Amino acid sequence: MKARMLATHVALPVLAVAAVSAQAHAADFDWMRFKGKTVTFLANNNPVSQALLTYKADFEKLTGMTLKVDGYQEQQMRQRLVTVMNANSDEVDVFMTLPSREGEQFAAAGWYGDLTAMAKNEVAKDYDPAGLSQALLKAATFGGKLTSMPMNIEGPIFYYRTDIFKKCGLEAPKTIKDVEAAAEKIKACDSAVTPFVSRGLKPAVAYTFSNMLHNVGGSYIENGKSNLCSAKGKEALDSYSRLLRDFGPPGVVNYSFQQISALYRSGRAAMAFESSNELRTVMEGGARLKDTGLLPFPAGEAGQVPTTIGWGMAVSSHSKQPDAAWYFVQWATSPEVQKKMALQGIAPPRPSVAKDPEYRKWIDEEPVRKEWQAALDVLATKGSSEVGYPIIPNPESREFIGQAVQDLILKQKPIDQACADADKALDALIAQK
Amino acid sequence: MSNTAATLTQDRQRLEMAALSAPAVIFTVAMIAFPVVYTIWLGFQTFSSTGKQSFAGLANYSKLISDYEFWHGLWITIALFVLSLALQLVFGVWLALVLFHAKRLPGIVRSLFISPFMMPPVVAGMMWLVILDPSLGAANYILQSFGLPPSDWLASPSWVIPTVALIDSWQWTPYVALIVLGGLQSLPPSVYEAAQIDGASPFKTFQRITLPLLLPTIVTAAILRSVDLLRFFDIIYITTQGGPGNASNTLNIYGFRVGFEFFNIGYASALMLTLTAIVFGAVLAFNRLRGAVAW
Repeated sequence: MKARMLATHVALPVLAVAAVSAQAHAADFDWMRFKGKTVTFLANNNPVSQALLTYKADFEKLTGMTLKVDGYQEQQMRQRLVTVMNANSDEVDVFMTLPSREGEQFAAAGWYGDLTAMAKNEVAKDYDPAGLSQALLKAATFGGKLTSMPMNIEGPIFYYRTDIFKKCGLEAPKTIKDVEAAAEKIKACDSAVTPFVSRGLKPAVAYTFSNMLHNVGGSYIENGKSNLCSAKGKEALDSYSRLLRDFGPPGVVNYSFQQISALYRSGRAAMAFESSNELRTVMEGGARLKDTGLLPFPAGEAGQVPTTIGWGMAVSSHSKQPDAAWYFVQWATSPEVQKKMALQGIAPPRPSVAKDPEYRKWIDEEPVRKEWQAALDVLATKGSSEVGYPIIPNPESREFIGQAVQDLILKQKPIDQACADADKALDALIAQK
Repeated sequence: MSNTAATLTQDRQRLEMAALSAPAVIFTVAMIAFPVVYTIWLGFQTFSSTGKQSFAGLANYSKLISDYEFWHGLWITIALFVLSLALQLVFGVWLALVLFHAKRLPGIVRSLFISPFMMPPVVAGMMWLVILDPSLGAANYILQSFGLPPSDWLASPSWVIPTVALIDSWQWTPYVALIVLGGLQSLPPSVYEAAQIDGASPFKTFQRITLPLLLPTIVTAAILRSVDLLRFFDIIYITTQGGPGNASNTLNIYGFRVGFEFFNIGYASALMLTLTAIVFGAVLAFNRLRGAVAW
């Protein structure tokens, strides 16, 4: 579902109600209400939480609460969360979550606290819940319940080397066909660089592949059945795997964001399709600062339907102090904190922050930042948060998408068999109640 | 003091000692027993994707029989086990002989030889992931400088298992060598003196004396490594996450993903208990072998 449509139909009314109620309650709002309490935050140790936790002391000073941070790498964080939630433990008050990945699953399991009521009852004057990205709020709304507040906005974007494009007589690509043609030309023009790189690691593929599928006009499910073997599905599978097989680096089947960023930053890739979050990593050392162009992924037959997701902060349904936990969520997703995070390169999920003069000044310092923000604006307005199948076992569905792509990259199966095998496994997942 | 009084005192002392040590013993037994019993119980449950739990009887175990990924994982686990163990035993014995005979080798060099197994597997995995990267890694650079073709290493479905076995062997061969070196140092010198008097060549001495006498030590090393190899996880998780495709999806990796990524804790428990039974079986078989080769 498109972001704009989602925003209009569901999230806006929810937030409008919240905003009106907020005005009534803002006057009574006291940040010191839970002074002396300790809130435990289960964090994914990624750039988003790192930027946020730089200001941990500010939160503790503002509220008189203690913030206990339990930080892990992404997969380990989920592992810890599964253990804690299955044990109905109140050890975790607030946790980071990717609604596009596990939202359906965690909501159905009842792990998310309902933030709709909290957003109505306890909101500071300057919080402005309606100012948050409506698309992301919708993506975090399940069964009418708001389950998390967005921390950032991100999605895969297209990084390309302007110097190599110039040398090879190429223009910035406008369509997927242009990307394929550019890869072909770069392969002949500059054999020292990898023409194109994106995610090939099985569980990571869905993040970038979904953008390709939606751009060509494909969908994951039609009439309750997996749709990878449709003409559009096969077109997306074929284009994505061919780009990686014929123009990607050796060993691309093990590539996720770390390898892609390292390859591009070192100057050994001409085009990279990777997360907007990787800008800071890619620009480290400054070598790519002046020779990189950034775009949303070029259009297919259906135009540009970029993948747009964001990390969210959820309150555990087992927390014994959800109100205190909400204070932390509110502080972390407030305009003031999100502006500070934005100045560290975390794309803000608030249009108002993106327009803030101080942030604009930071953006205007480098042309590449301007292009980054322009790409993010497209993500925010046109984005789809469908990464993998919109079903409860979404993480498992990503395995089968990745498997089909790897089968094609490694030439282990013809396309008809690869998509049919994936569809068979995915139909079984879809049928699961 | 009469005998009866002395016996009573001894009994009381025993009781006191038992009472004092009981908390620690109970705690230790509970710490071992509880996870095992809990996992067995979980193996009889089924969990939906939303975490809803219900009793499944033996359904998880019957699912194993028809699960292609289980049999594939078992095959990968066995292939990795056989290849790694063979490499580690052969090179471990060789390294032990080198260290045993090179008595003038400086301490620092000896320490370097045995240092890999002191490295955390996660660090070793990360290091080899970088070295073996087909585009940026040093391994292909070295191969190409000698005019040899580059390899995809961990990214090739056919090479991933030998490559992982090589990484594990790099790390754990020194450990095997250390155990074997201890065995070598405890061999009786008299048999070597007798062999020397009889004019046995160094190879014959190794073949007929050293190797048979070392066999119990080698089997002990094999037992210790077998347990680790059958539960192989960390290096694969760091380097390939079971890929490319499912080419390095060992039973342990498969069980982890079923449990912690797909949240089917019941089936994951059944998988892990099956793996535990395989590990026990291997240890029992090696124990019997150790009994047979003891001297």
